[in-house]
Order: sequence, then structure tokens, then C-alpha cells
Amino acid sequence: MVQNRSLIDESGKRSDGRIIDELREIKIIVGIIKNADGSALIEFGKNKIIAAVYGPREVHPKHMALSDRCVVRCRYHMSPFSTDTRKSPAPSRRETEISKVIREALEPALMLEDYPRAAIDIFIEVLQADGGSRCAGITAASVALADAGINMRDMVSACAAGKVDDKIVIDINDTEDKEGGADMPVAYMPNLKKITLLQLDGELNSNEFKTCLEEAIRGCLKVFEIQRSSLIEKYFGDEKGLNE
Amino acid sequence: MQEIKRKYVIPGDIVAEGNLRPLVNVFRIGNSIVATRIGIAESNKDGAKVIPLSGIYFPRANDIVIGKILDHSSLSWSVDINSCFNAHLPAQDIFGRDFSPAHDDMGSQLSKGDVIVARIAIFDRTRDPILTIQDKDLGKIPTGELIKISPTRVPRLIGKRGSMIQIIEQASSTRITIGQNGIIVVSGKDKEGINLAINAIHIVEVEAHTSNLTQRIKQLLNVPESEIENDDTKRNHEINDTEMNDDKAISNKIDKEMGMMNSNGTK
Repeated sequence: MVQNRSLIDESGKRSDGRIIDELREIKIIVGIIKNADGSALIEFGKNKIIAAVYGPREVHPKHMALSDRCVVRCRYHMSPFSTDTRKSPAPSRRETEISKVIREALEPALMLEDYPRAAIDIFIEVLQADGGSRCAGITAASVALADAGINMRDMVSACAAGKVDDKIVIDINDTEDKEGGADMPVAYMPNLKKITLLQLDGELNSNEFKTCLEEAIRGCLKVFEIQRSSLIEKYFGDEKGLNE
Repeated sequence: MQEIKRKYVIPGDIVAEGNLRPLVNVFRIGNSIVATRIGIAESNKDGAKVIPLSGIYFPRANDIVIGKILDHSSLSWSVDINSCFNAHLPAQDIFGRDFSPAHDDMGSQLSKGDVIVARIAIFDRTRDPILTIQDKDLGKIPTGELIKISPTRVPRLIGKRGSMIQIIEQASSTRITIGQNGIIVVSGKDKEGINLAINAIHIVEVEAHTSNLTQRIKQLLNVPESEIENDDTKRNHEINDTEMNDDKAISNKIDKEMGMMNSNGTK
């Protein structure tokens, strides 16, 4: 977190040309994996991530099954070609941790008690990484879960905010993550208005923290609009008559 | 007829506000009824619900399903019903209460790979579903092409009072057995008819929510307009009729269809 060069220029532009409250371009395609029960491809700036959901399905090994609710298993994985230097395909400590936090970010939205003794498997495969891949992964996984027809209380949208050059900026990219002051990924249930993931790497005072959280939630709401339109597009296409 | 309000929803969307009864695929938060699935939300004075457009089959008691025998223990057959649980068909269901593993040969009745039409006798989520084939027109399916569609498309495939499936059956000279778990058996004498029926079923699956579907299926099957009376130019009405009563529609259809199979001497 050592800041050794200016990441925001005099005109207020960031390293990738965005202004401080601008998200990267987001595109979500629903249902790209035919074998999966639900799937989504997300392009979040330069991030390219596939999420696939299987289930509810039988639990193997059977002793993992829970009698009163469904088991959620999540695997976040970065492909060896997703970064500049080759990443070993073996699961790293970081990937194991991110798998866990993504699972915990999605679980509150799922109605797991509807599927006792079953399992839901979520696979998140990062094809190209550029900072904020856990947020993009959560966003894609949430769309894939909805596509799989699993009962959900709400969608989960995720977006990071952080501190760069002492300014609170939204949707931190890879350079800002490595060289900036703080990075705070947030996952949020937009209709229930509840936070399901909040991490913070770096230092913020209480005012900065508050602003940062508000900005991240604002980002989540923008992400939600894209999640929503991608699902409507897939399922209803041009048939928007009912909602208009 | 009472007014039904419809809209497209995704999980978390508000279906209706006020003191309505939450029916299926919805839950209540405060004064709002919220959707839990992607689909078409319907609300009227009886309550609010969402007709889902995606999802796997989750068993319910009394559903008619088509399953494949996976294996058997000394007391029951294990059946794949295209769900997250394997179903069990107790040997007593076939051999009666006097069944004894020592005297009765389970292999003589059903063996691995056999396809059966069965009813879910008991399912309460705490244990795997228990099947029965003791009702009328249930049991082993001797021949046919097995195809799988999304279980959410089954009501559309059956259509308003069985209209869609009747069109396909008549035009392709086949018999189609539909399980609520999305497994379908198409049987008939000539291969062309079977292929035609399978094509039509796949089109219904992909285009289930679009308008004028019955029209397009008729064109595909070269059915003259006058032969079929029901039309779905007013698609919303059709969705209403099939989906509102989907359980009933399916069981009626299956009863009818099984009757047909019997009268044709195939079972």
C-alpha cells in the first residue's frame, strides 16, 4: 500500500481515464454454459469471469449433507493465463479465502432451508483479472444463481470503493488496488438493503470509511441495474410488454 | 373473471403490496410480497405468486414423474427422477405386503435401466421421495424415445386443457407421456413422426414464453387452421389457464393420455 506516484491527474482522471465516481464498463451474458443449471459471463472492465451454478443436487460425499438446509460449495479460481505472469493452477491461500468470503456473501440471499439434504455448487473461474475480481465474481454468481432458478430473497450485487490519492473513488482497478491507499469490497442486497460482504484493506478514518461505504453501495446499485437488465434480456428478450 | 395483474420479475422484486396471501415462489416482508425466482408474477385478490421460468425439478407429493431404475436393494428400487434426490420404489408396492426378499425376485419385475411412470406417494423433504406405481396407468414404459426438457416448461407443453400436446400428438401420430419432472417419452410407429414430435417439443421448450407459439407449432407440423380450435394469440390468457391450474391440467392430461395408451393396447 505504498503510494509512490499520482494515480489521479490534475483534471481528475484516474489511471484508466475514469473520473472518481465512475464504474468500469460492465457487461453480463446469462446462460453461456449449457451444462450448468445457471451461468453467467461478466466483463467488468478488463475482468472476464465465468460463474456456473449446479444444483440443488445430491451431496457427495453424503456425510456433508445437512438435514435442515442446503450446503453451498463455492470455488473461486484464477486460470493460469488470467494474470501477467503465469499463476499456478493449484488453489492458493488467497483463492481459498475468496471462495469462502464469496460463499458467505451469497448465502444470506439464498433460501437454503427450501432444499434440505441437497447441495448448490458455485464455480467462479477468472479468465482475465484486473482488480475487483471477487466483486465481479459475486455479481456473476448471483446472476447465475437466479438463472439456475434457486429461491433467493434478493440478488447480490458487489462493487468496491477505496482511497486513491486521499480521494474516495469507486470501483478500484488493479493498479489502484496495488498502489492506492485503501480497497473496500462490498456486497449488497439492493432490495433488502443489507450488506453481505465488507472487507477493508488499507487505512481509512471514520469519515472516509462512511463515505467509502456509501460510494460502494452506490456502485452496487448501478451493478444491480446491469444484473437486472441482463436477466430480463435473457428471459424476456423483446417481450417487455408486461412491464411497460 | 377477476382481474389478474402480471409482470416480469427477478428475485427480490416486489410482486404486490398489501394484505395478499403469498402463494408460490414469493415471500412476505412487511407489507410487500417479494419474488424469489425469475418469472411471471401474478397477483389477484386470492394472493400473489410467481410462475418460474427456470429451475430444476423439486419433487412434490402426488406428482406424476418418469424415472429410470438405477439399482435395487433387497427392499426397494432406487429411481432417478431428474431431481436432487433419488426416489425409492418399495418392493412391497409391487409384491404386496407379503413381500419377502428371500422368495420374491425383484429383478423379474424391474431391472436396471427400465423406465417407469410413477406417482410420488410421499415426500416431505426429510427423506427421499417414495414412489408408487399402483395407481391406474402407472408402471413400466416398454418403448419410446426419452427426452428431457426444463420442468418449468411442462405446463406450456401441455397447453390450455392439453391443447398443445394434442396438436403435437395428432399431427405426428405419436403418443407422448409427460412427467412433471421434465422427462418425456415419445412413442409411435414411424420414426419420422417421432422426430417431428421431438422437434416440436424442443421448440415449445425454447420459445415457451413467446406469443403465437401454438400458431408456429401448427405451421411446423402442417396442421390446417380449422382442425384445432384453441389459439394462443392472446397469450396471457393461455398462460393464465395453464399455469393457474397447472397441477390439475397435468394430472388430467396424464390421465387422459394414459387412457389413450390403454385404448391403443400399448400397455
